[in-house]
Amino acid sequence: MRVVIAEDNALLREGMVLLLTSAGHEVVAVAGSGPEVLPALLEHRPDVAVLDVRMPPGFRDEGLRAALAARKEIPDLPVLVLSQYVEETYAAELLGGGASGVGYLLKDRVGRVDEFLDALERVAAGGTALDPEVVTELMTRRRDDPLDSLTPREREVLHLMAEGRDNATIAKTLVVSDRAVSKHIGNVFAKLSLPPSDSGHRRVLAVLAYLNKG
Amino acid sequence: MRETVHQAGRATAQLMKGAGLALVSYLYIALLLFTAVATAIVVGAGVLPETVLLLRRMAGFKRRQVGAWSGKPVAEAYAPLTGELFERVRAATRDPSTYRDLRWLFAHFGYGLVLAYVSLIVWSVGLFVDGVWCGLLKRPAVVLPLLSRLADLDASWSTVLLTPSPEARRSAELAERVEELTVTRAGAVAAHGAELRRIERDLHDGAQARLVALSMRVGLAKRAYDKDPDAARKLLDDAQNQAEEALTELRHVVRGIHPPILTDRGLVGAVRALAASSGLDVAVDADGVEGEDLPRAPAAVEAAAYFVIAEALTNAAKHSGSQRARVELIRTAGRLRIVVRDEGQGGAETPAAAPGGGMGGSGLLGMRRRAAALDGTMEVSSPVGGPTVIEVELPCAW
Repeated sequence: MRVVIAEDNALLREGMVLLLTSAGHEVVAVAGSGPEVLPALLEHRPDVAVLDVRMPPGFRDEGLRAALAARKEIPDLPVLVLSQYVEETYAAELLGGGASGVGYLLKDRVGRVDEFLDALERVAAGGTALDPEVVTELMTRRRDDPLDSLTPREREVLHLMAEGRDNATIAKTLVVSDRAVSKHIGNVFAKLSLPPSDSGHRRVLAVLAYLNKG
Repeated sequence: MRETVHQAGRATAQLMKGAGLALVSYLYIALLLFTAVATAIVVGAGVLPETVLLLRRMAGFKRRQVGAWSGKPVAEAYAPLTGELFERVRAATRDPSTYRDLRWLFAHFGYGLVLAYVSLIVWSVGLFVDGVWCGLLKRPAVVLPLLSRLADLDASWSTVLLTPSPEARRSAELAERVEELTVTRAGAVAAHGAELRRIERDLHDGAQARLVALSMRVGLAKRAYDKDPDAARKLLDDAQNQAEEALTELRHVVRGIHPPILTDRGLVGAVRALAASSGLDVAVDADGVEGEDLPRAPAAVEAAAYFVIAEALTNAAKHSGSQRARVELIRTAGRLRIVVRDEGQGGAETPAAAPGGGMGGSGLLGMRRRAAALDGTMEVSSPVGGPTVIEVELPCAW
């Protein structure tokens, strides 16, 4: 895949380039500050962009703004936003323009190379990758609602669905059969009164829309 | 007649106390001369503040007397005498009230005795005249009521002499304010120190320790790399876990110092984010708090405001039973006002409402401490039945 990276910290930037090239991806451009991001994306039209939230010149949320601006210019441009900390509000803003091809992960996750590359590919393919911490926040703040009626296992399944995982990954993570996963998913959708939805991206959207409703 | 005599008795008691005080002040004047001489040759400086305090007590006694007689309390305004001896001496000698009190003391030494002496004459005349006048002719008494007039005279002269001048009152208020600020500043410095120690401990016991452990595991993995690749892999897995835990801890520490979203989005944006993630339906009203051409609040004020609002919303979500809340941020000259209001059941300050020290316990206390550390104030209104309203004001140089 052709990737554009936006990261101001040289150490992390080099590491990221090394990681992606060793995985067989091509880093076509590297942006070191907020204003460089959009031109680089417009020029290279990458398969996926990996953006740091906090960048010069203001060291605030330049990367996030660049991601949102880029998706206005290039609809459905896959962006994976990385941050030193996760903020529910940012997740909502990123997902607000449609959750297809959106990722929002803690920088720590890069260390789990295989999982990170998996997330990157999922986003590039139009899927979603949401950090478990964001999902936990989304799930714990809701009170007195059908979420309480879920069994612990069903909560785990919902959690993984919201992160953007597919059935096979969920089955592998929870060490259960695909059939069991399908059954749990059916239960979750029934208990949350969501229209039954086939596997795939629509399901993630439904789950996130439900959790985001507040 | 009986009533008249009773009233005359009260007036006389008033005047006699005045005379007594005047006699005491005679002794005091002697003491004063002694102190003056002693201070002049330096050694007596130590007793000067005590001498002034004694003067204040006498003046205070007279004020209470006069207030009780006239029904109009006499104002009092003194500079506090605290600190080192030198500071106390300076405060005592600079306080205009000291000289006012002295003026009163000398004047009162005269009029206090004279009025008491006159009252004795009035009595002797009054007992005879009024005795004849009322007893034989059944007319109302005319002489004895004069005693009350004498006491009135004493009260009004004393009031004039003892009421502090407006400047004295202002400077006393200022002095009191300085005193208050000194205390809150000491509190803020102590709170800051405690905060630094907490951060140091968190980093030392948490992230730093984990990084040491991580480094050890990487070192062990290097040694095992050739002989026992499985063990090396296991050690590297552990090392990665340690690294992730260290990062998680660092994030917590950072959030506790200064929530990153404040840097990213400013106070209003951060409060909106809090509101969105609170699980309640929260209206945020923050018009005119931030803007392009408005300077931001100091970081410490923003952080305190953020933590207070976060705590208030958490409490509202956990304990109030309400689904809705409202956060108001108001920018005034030199202040940031925060009002958090829920529609819940109230009773936040009763300990019973908060098993486990929630709302009535450490939560509110922590909020108060944060406000106090910045010389701010916090008020909680939470009648049983609700709603709970928390108002915090933080001084803020915009």
